[in-house]
Parts: sequence; structure tokens; C-alpha cells
Amino acid sequence: MAEILLSEAEKAFIHHGVQDDLRCDGRTRLDYRPIILETGLVSNASGSSRLRLANSDVLVGVKVELASPLSEKPLEGRLEFFVDCSANATPEFEGRGGEDLANEICRFLQMSYMSGDTINLAELSVLTGQQCWVLYVDILILECGGNLYDTVSLAVKSALYTTQIPSIKVATMDGDQPELELSEDPYDTKRLNTQNVPCLVTLMKIGNHYLVDPTPEEECCSSSGVVVAVSGTKKITAVRKIGSGSLHPESLVSMLKTASEVGTVVNKILMTKLLEEERAGKTQKVGFMR
Amino acid sequence: MDMLTSKIFLRKTKRGKVLKVVREHYLRDDLWCGSDLCKKCNQENSEVLDDAPISSSTLCACPHYVVVDTNVVLHQIDVLESPAWKNVIVLQTVLEETRKRSTNNFKKLKEIMATRKDSFYVFVNEHHKDTYVERKPGESANDRNDRAIRKACSWYQTHLEESQQGREKKKKVQIILLTQDFKNREQALKEGIPAYRVDEYVKSLKDFPDLQEKLAASHSDDNAENREPLFPEHWAPTRIMTGIKSGKLLQGIFHCSRENFLEGSVSVEGQDKSILLQGHASLNRAVDGDIVAVELLPEDKWTSPSGIVLEDQEDQDPGDQIEKEEALLTNSTKGKDLQPTGKIVGIIRRKWRQYCGILLPSVLAEGTRHLFVPAERKIPKIRIETRQAATLSSQKIIVAIDSWPRTSRYPLGHFVRALGNIGDKDTENEVKLTVLLLEHDVPHHSFPETVLACLPSMPWMISQEEVNCREDLRNLDICSVDPPGCTDIDDALHFRELSPNLYEIGVHIADVSHFVRPDTALDKEAANRGTTVYLVDRRIDMVPELLSSNLCSLRPDQERLAFSVIWEVTPNAEIKKTRFTKSVIRSRRAYTYAEAQCSIDDPLQQNELAKSLRGLNKLAKIMKKNRMEKGALQLSSPEIRFEVSTETNDPIDVISKPMLDTNSMVEEFMLLANISVAEHIFKHFPECAVLRRHPVPPESNFEPFLKAGKTQGFTLDVSSNKSLAASLDAAVKPDNVYMNTMLRILATRCMMQAVYFSSGTVAQVDFYHYGLAAPIYTHFTSPIRRYADLLVHRLLAVAISADVTYAELLDRKCVQQLCNNLNYRHKMSQYAQRSSVALHTHLFFRHRVQDEDAYVLSVRQNALQVLIPKYGLEGSIYLKEKDEDSKSAFIYNPDEPSQTCDNITIRTFDRIVVQVSLDSKYVQHQKIAVHLVQPQIAGLSVEPIKTVNVSEPTPKKLKSGN
Repeated sequence: MAEILLSEAEKAFIHHGVQDDLRCDGRTRLDYRPIILETGLVSNASGSSRLRLANSDVLVGVKVELASPLSEKPLEGRLEFFVDCSANATPEFEGRGGEDLANEICRFLQMSYMSGDTINLAELSVLTGQQCWVLYVDILILECGGNLYDTVSLAVKSALYTTQIPSIKVATMDGDQPELELSEDPYDTKRLNTQNVPCLVTLMKIGNHYLVDPTPEEECCSSSGVVVAVSGTKKITAVRKIGSGSLHPESLVSMLKTASEVGTVVNKILMTKLLEEERAGKTQKVGFMR
Repeated sequence: MDMLTSKIFLRKTKRGKVLKVVREHYLRDDLWCGSDLCKKCNQENSEVLDDAPISSSTLCACPHYVVVDTNVVLHQIDVLESPAWKNVIVLQTVLEETRKRSTNNFKKLKEIMATRKDSFYVFVNEHHKDTYVERKPGESANDRNDRAIRKACSWYQTHLEESQQGREKKKKVQIILLTQDFKNREQALKEGIPAYRVDEYVKSLKDFPDLQEKLAASHSDDNAENREPLFPEHWAPTRIMTGIKSGKLLQGIFHCSRENFLEGSVSVEGQDKSILLQGHASLNRAVDGDIVAVELLPEDKWTSPSGIVLEDQEDQDPGDQIEKEEALLTNSTKGKDLQPTGKIVGIIRRKWRQYCGILLPSVLAEGTRHLFVPAERKIPKIRIETRQAATLSSQKIIVAIDSWPRTSRYPLGHFVRALGNIGDKDTENEVKLTVLLLEHDVPHHSFPETVLACLPSMPWMISQEEVNCREDLRNLDICSVDPPGCTDIDDALHFRELSPNLYEIGVHIADVSHFVRPDTALDKEAANRGTTVYLVDRRIDMVPELLSSNLCSLRPDQERLAFSVIWEVTPNAEIKKTRFTKSVIRSRRAYTYAEAQCSIDDPLQQNELAKSLRGLNKLAKIMKKNRMEKGALQLSSPEIRFEVSTETNDPIDVISKPMLDTNSMVEEFMLLANISVAEHIFKHFPECAVLRRHPVPPESNFEPFLKAGKTQGFTLDVSSNKSLAASLDAAVKPDNVYMNTMLRILATRCMMQAVYFSSGTVAQVDFYHYGLAAPIYTHFTSPIRRYADLLVHRLLAVAISADVTYAELLDRKCVQQLCNNLNYRHKMSQYAQRSSVALHTHLFFRHRVQDEDAYVLSVRQNALQVLIPKYGLEGSIYLKEKDEDSKSAFIYNPDEPSQTCDNITIRTFDRIVVQVSLDSKYVQHQKIAVHLVQPQIAGLSVEPIKTVNVSEPTPKKLKSGN
């Protein structure tokens, strides 16, 4: 992650701000920065979204492909995440610089989606044990402005929300090979139920308090925190501690509680916004030319 | 609106991946409407669409431009060719849809537009910013295109309206949409676009009254797709292949039953019993000859062939419905004689060809969908579309099958060509002959120039060099014995005493391979034809006549090239030495069988030739005896010959071919030569020798034969060919002399087909020739009329170092391919010959009704199959008319089998009297009708004919070769 050089005085200023529940940009501890979201930007992908949270900018594309299911889960399709940290975001990402971060995010996403509650992978099965849909979720990090986990998770959720899975039916069995028939109507697609897909909420501990949606500067001031995956039903599907500092069990419990509340709200708002966008129908895409 | 849109669609790749394809689609605002009256468009002058078009349509009197829908182009392209069309707007949507649906019509439309640039205007509506429409969710591609067309129409309307504001209402140019699609028309009218059907519109064109004849009747294709499928679906090829590999399915050739169109069988290679198929669903659209995949039913569903004779004989077009078949099939006797029963699950290879037949008179003469009835009974009727039904109904026509969809009762085909009028006396025979040859796939075109170029130039002489490298046998007293009128003499014989206890006999065969060199056009043509086809009044040559009747024919007193087989034999017909040589011979005389017989029998004739013949005859008799002891069969099939009137070319009498000693004498030596040659070429070419085998028939084949024997009280032993021959010889009844012949005829029908093969493809034990009881056999003696003999000649020539080989000759796969073709041609030629005889029988009975003696060949549930020996004719007597309730209550006893009515019982082989006549009810589909005369059965038998005295026919001994 990009290192920001801060003087002690600056750190103290942030520290005091958090203590008084008034952060540098005027937010309270549990306020998010404004989020800009647009879906369907990548016409070649089956689903896509671009999400900008203050200065963090992420583009997500979902590609659906037919493949054979994993032998241990013959009834399910699967999701595969791939994060690419563009060197545009920060020069440190150049070469293999962003790889560690990318893997970290990937792993955590995978983990948080693992719970059966989040997404019904059986919906992705086409033919038991033989064919299923695999959703390749490609995440491109265009700019790092802090709170990357939350940004990525919201973008992924939005992209999955818009993903159109072609409707396909098994026409005939041809020996052992199924003959799959693709619907002729490009609008004849199905969508995944993304209601419960988890959002990640990062809580940073600064002093005795914790806050959501940290800016890079605030991240600099914190020695520890947690990332919590919260599903639409308020359930926590994964937790990960970040930073080198330690957390007191009591404060951890309290953080998890707060995270699950915040996550639920974020989830709800995101879903309403996505629905709103969908209802608005086809409008001029804004894209990157703003 | 954005000028850039994208077309998105999903595509599945061959490897099964699903791709989302996004194409950028740019819209423009500089596409002009093409009308002269338009003031808005920035176009050059002299536009396609007139400023003030003149309407000749009564339907729409005001001036108008015409927009055509895709279905008009697809179905009425012929109409569009007319100059009546002016001011036509062809939308790009229509063009693209046409291209996708029918390349033919697209090409035609392009041509029409190219030649008539002044009348057709292409409007690129798909790229016009105001007429482009995007597909809506839930909308089919078709509906979207219809909408695009309507959108273009209404755009034109408003666009033109703006330019002709000042005009009188009557003079304003309108847009008319022509579409065959009801929904599109409705929708268009709703949107305020005048829309008509193209036929309505064309009929209203008062200046072009002829145009409506070009209209194709509206298709009901859309219907067809939605119809309930009548047949089970065919499996996918790979599924069939795995099924066959795993043994779940069987592959074989489908044969439709001659007697019952709802029944067929599949002969599977290496299987004893063929698989029975019954009913439409089981036959599942197979056509006779197709290679099919069959799934066996569980054993408890096996049945036996139904005893009834059933013809698909509706005189009217039943439409696409399958008649209730339970009634037609229930009669199959359950419980005994169960045969493996199966159903066809897929067609591996179609063997469709062109079929000849007639159109079924249609209820709707103006309709375009008609039923075609093929002349062959085994082929189903074919649904064709033609607009010339009226003209074709009196003609023999040729039709090809295109497809057989699941929803169609009959296969769909198309009309290929008409052969000529049936009723027309002059052409009738010619037409029938052509039909016959076509049906049996006999190549009968005259030889092309390239082939004739391979012939030696005339006058032709044997060169001295040729003589030098051959054995000179001109000094020998060689003669030929053939049927009268034979011009292609391919064999000759000689006999001489070397010492009192050693004779030399020689068989000399025309050296056709000298003239037909490998890889020439002549060779290819001959290989394709495979055999000469002998019809009653015609011969279709395998090689051009110059060779067949002159240069190769071993004419008397002419020096000819030959391939000779010379044996030294003892008086006991023991062969001491065999040699083969290319030779030059001069035949002394061409005997007919009868003449040769005379020479042998007449003790006064003491010339060398007569002596030779006697010697040959004596040896032949010994050889024949030896052969019979080994188990060779003497079978029988009726062979007849027509006496043809020289004037009318009509047959005036029928005689069965006599069999003389000399016939069998010649046959005996030919067999000997064939066997000797077979052994020799197999020794030299174990991998690629062309041989002929006659497989041992499976026991099951003999069932009808054994049953028939049992009814007569004979126990027939079919365990080997020898025992069969013995039991046939023993089965004689003094009171029914003909019975033995009948038994032999039945035995013949149990036999397998003899086939040519390449020795490398079959295990040596299977080389056996069952009929001749020879362990190895080939054809060597008739190279003029059989291509196989020619191949054997070439092999033998190489074996004796008289010729060189070539690659194809030594490649067993090539040889096997050739053999397959020969087998096919051979079979077809036999069928053609039979048909030719049948044809002449029809001609013979055209003005005759005769009572003749007949014998019951087999007793069926609802019919008797009878044989009329005098004509070698077979027919069925239906015991119960199909519709009426049986007045004559025949009781069928399937065990015997017999039919009993009152106190008369008819069994197999019973002698009865029948009346033979030509049934001309269907003028174009005549057949021989057989009615029972004796024994008299009320309601069934007919009155005997008084004028013709029924003479007691002497049972004729009929024989045939192998």
C-alpha cells in the first residue's frame, strides 16, 4: 500500500480529530466518503461496474464461461477473482509491485464469498457434474485513495448484480457429451441473486476509537484494524485483521458489532442505488470522460 | 440519438464456449431516400423512385412506392422478375434477412436489382439514424426485423409528406408494404401503413394479368414447424457411434418389406437373423437401402412378421397424418416364430437416389403440394411441391428426396424432370425403359468421346509383334457354343487327344485386358458400369460395341487375341497339368447350344469339331458328377424368354428357356477355368486377388423352405450344401411333378448373395462358394461383360509375367472398393433384368386375359402368393378385400400354413388355376392382376375364360446356373 509520509504533528491532529468524532474532512467516525458508481461500462463483459470512493477507483468486469465443475462440488458453479493493481494507481505497483496486495484482496474476497449464505452457486450449474458457469471476476485497481477493500467489494457486488448469464439448455445428450443450446434472444438471460453478497467493511483503530472508510492518511496513523465481510443478512462471513498492532478482545467484539451494522446499511444503500440505476434504463454512459 | 450504437449477441463457438460479441454499429444522417420528389435529401438528380409514379393497381389507385417484406422475396421471387415492378424500395433489413435465409433467392434478387436499376432502390435503413431499431427484450429477431421494416415505411411516409405538402391528396405518393405475414400486415395497418398481400396486389395489377400465374401458393412452412412431430427423433451421430461401439445399437442395411409397407427388416452383418421392424415409429423414416442404427427391443416385445400383405394404397392424399396402424399390424402372430424386433434410432447413411413414378391425382389441382408415388413399392410416397401438377399428372416423372422431417408423414422431395407421357404409345416403351434403367442405377448414356478415343482404329489387325509374344494356337480346332443371337462371344473351347489316356482341353477367353488398359477413360467407364446389362430387348454394354461385338468377340474364322487356360486331363477327368497363356486363336465355328447338341447327337457328323464336342461333353458329364458329389447345388429360378414381334416390338409369346446338355457342358468348363484361375491368382496375390464367394446361408434363412417341405411330408436336411442337394433330389412327388422345381425355387430364395471380394479382406475359410461347393472361386470367363473378369485377367497376366502391374491392382483397399461397386452393379443389373421381364409381361398381357395353371408358393394370412410357371410370374391373390367384410371366410392356419374356406383347403404347392390380366386401373401404374379360378370359391374366384382353352401345361424343367 502506498506509504504516505506524515509528520508527528499531522498524526496527532488526526488522532485528536478521531477522538472528537470529527475527522479532517468533516466526517464522523462512521461516515463514508461519497461514492460514485456506474455499471455496464464494459460492453464486452457479461457484467461490469466502476466504483469510485473518493480517490479510490476500481473497475470490475465479470465474464461468464462454461467449464466443468470441480469434482468435489459437482452441483455448483464457481467464482474466480483476479485483482490487477494498475501501475497507474501508484508507481509502486509497477512490475510485480502490486502482486502481494492483489493476492491479499483476492484471497479475502474468495474467503468472504465462501459462506453458503452469500451467493447460491448451485444457480450456476448447467448440467450436474458436467457443465457449469464460471464467473471470472476481474478487478482492476485504477487509483488508490485508501479503503481499498471496501471499494473493491462494493464494485464486485455491483458488477455481479448486473451480470447477465446467457440462458442455455441441454438440447440433446450426444453420447457422453451434452449438446448445449444457446438461446437465440440476447435478452434471454438470467441474473444472480446478489442480495446477500457481502460487503467488506474496514474498521481502523486509531487511539481508543475505530472508524470506517479511512483515508490514506488515517491508515497511516493506525497500527491495527479489521476487515469484516458482512452479508446482506447482517451475517459476518469473514474477518481479517490488518496492521501490525494488537486488538483487545473487547474492542474486537465491539468492532465486529459495529462493522456488521455498518455493512448492512452499506449493503442496503448499494442495492437501492443499483435498482435505481437499473430502473432508469438506458442512459448515456458517463464512463471515464468526466 | 447517439450515432454509435452496438449490436450485442451471444455466440457459441465450436468448442462449446459462449462468446458475447459486441459489434459497433454506426448510424448516419446522410442516407438519402432515393425519391425524385424529395426536396430534403441532398441527392443527385435522376433518382430511382419516380416523382409521380403511375399506379396500375386497382387495389391502390393513388401513386405509391412499394416496400417488400422478406417473405415476399423468399417465396415470390419469380414474381419480382416481372417488369411490372416499378418504384420498389428494398430495405437493407430485407436484403440481409434474405441472404441469411436463402442464398439462392438473394442471388436472384441481386440479379433482378442489377438488371433493373431504374425500378429498385435499396434503402440502407439499418444505418439510417431515424430508421434503425434496436431489438427489444423478449422480441424475436424476426419481429425486430418486421418492426424495422415498418419503421422504415413510416419514416418514408413522413419524410415524403414533408416534400409534397402542396400536392393534392390524390396525387400524393404513398408507401405500400407488401408482406405475406399476417401479423406484420395487421401491425402495419395499425400504424397507418397501407399493407397488402403480394398475391392480392399482383392480382390487382390490371396491366399485367399474366403475372399472377407466377405466384407461388402461400407456403405453410410456419405451420410445419409447430406441428406435432409424427416420428421419434433421430439420435445425434456421435451418440449413435458410441452406441454401436458399446454394442447397444446395431448397424445394418434397412430393407423395406415388399409385401407390407409398415414392415421392414435390418440385416446386420454377422448376425443370423435380421431384425424385424414394425410400424411407422420403428421404421422411423428409413428408406429402403439406408444404412441405419437399430436398437433392439426387450425380448418380451419381439414379434414375428405379420402375415398380411399391405400396400400403402390410398388413392388420395391423406395429408400429414399417420393412419391408425394398430389395425394394420395387430395380426402379427404372437407367441411363435419370434424374431428379434427393434426400432430405428438413427440413420447412418442415406442411400437416397432419384426415383421414378407418377403424381397422385390431387384433390386440389391448383395446389402445389402433391404426393408422388414411386414405381418401386419399397419406396414411400414422396411429397413434392410443383406448380405444374396438371401437366405432370399424365407423365412419368423423376423425383429426388430432399429431407424427411419429423413432422411429415412422407419424405419431402423435389421434381427433377419429366420423362414423357405415359399414355403415349410411341414413347411409352422408351420411357419405361429409361425409367427402368434409372431406377436401377444402370449407367446407360452413350460412351463419351474420351472413351471412344481409347479404342483401336479400324481396320484392326493383329500385329506380328503381338503374335510373337503370344502362343500361336491358330492351328487348333477351337469352337464356341453360345445362345442364339449372341454377338459378344467371350469364350471358346477346344479338345484334342494327346495320347489315348491323356486329353488336352482348352478354354479360350477373349483378351479384353489387351484393349482396356488400366487408368484409361475406357477402363474407368467399364469399372463404373461393372457389368453388361441384358434386358429383354436390349443390351447395355460395359465396353463399346466395337470391342464387345467385334474385336474382343471370338468370332468364327477370325484371328482373335485370347487368354487361354489349357489342361491335360485323363479320360476320368483327372487334371494332370494346368497352364495359362496369352494366345492368338482362330475359332472354326460359332455353335448355338442346339446346333452343338445336334452335332454331338448326330453320329453321321465325324468332323474334328463334332469329335471334340463329344469328347468335351463326355468329360463334362464326369466333372459334373464329381462336383455334385461334393455338394454343389442345382437350384432353380424360372427363366423365360419373350418372342418379340418384329413389327410392333410387342411380345407375342413367352417361352421358357430350354436347358440342353451342351449348356451344362460349357458351364462345366467355365467353372473349371474359373476355379483354376482363382487358385493361381490367389497363390500369387494372397492379398489382392479378386475372388467370388458365396456365403453359407444361416440356418434361419431356410425356415420358409423347411416349412414348405414339411407340408409336403418331406424332411429336408439343410445342414450342408451336400445334404441339401440330396434332400432336394429325394423330394419328388409323382402326382405333382412341378413340386420339386418349386422347392428348388424356394431354396434359391434362402441363399445369400454371392459377392466379389479382395482376398486380403476376408479370412480364407470364408472363401467358400456354397452353391458350387468350391473352396475358392472367381470369375474369369466373361471379361466382355463383367469387369471383375477383367481384373482377374490382369492379375493372371501379371502372375504369368505377361503383363505389368499397377498400384491400384495390388492395393487391397482399392480392389475391395472396386469389388463393392461391382457387387452393387451386379445386383442392380439383376433387378433391372427382372424388371425388364416384368415390363414385357405387362406388355404381353395388355390385350390378354388368360387362365393359367399356377402353384401356391406360400400361404399368407390374407393372401396367396402364387407362381405361374409358364410366365415365370409371381402374383398375390388377396383372399380378403381390404375394406369389405370377408364374404369368403377363409380360416388361416399359421402352423401348416393353410387357408380353409368351407371345405376347400389351400396349402403350399397346391396346383390351382388362375386368371391373369393386366390391371390398368391406375393407367400409369399398371400391374398384373391374378384372380383365382379353380378351386371355385364363392365370392372370390372368377369365371374361367371360355375362349382360351386351358391346356394342360407340361411342367417344364427349369434350371439355372449359379
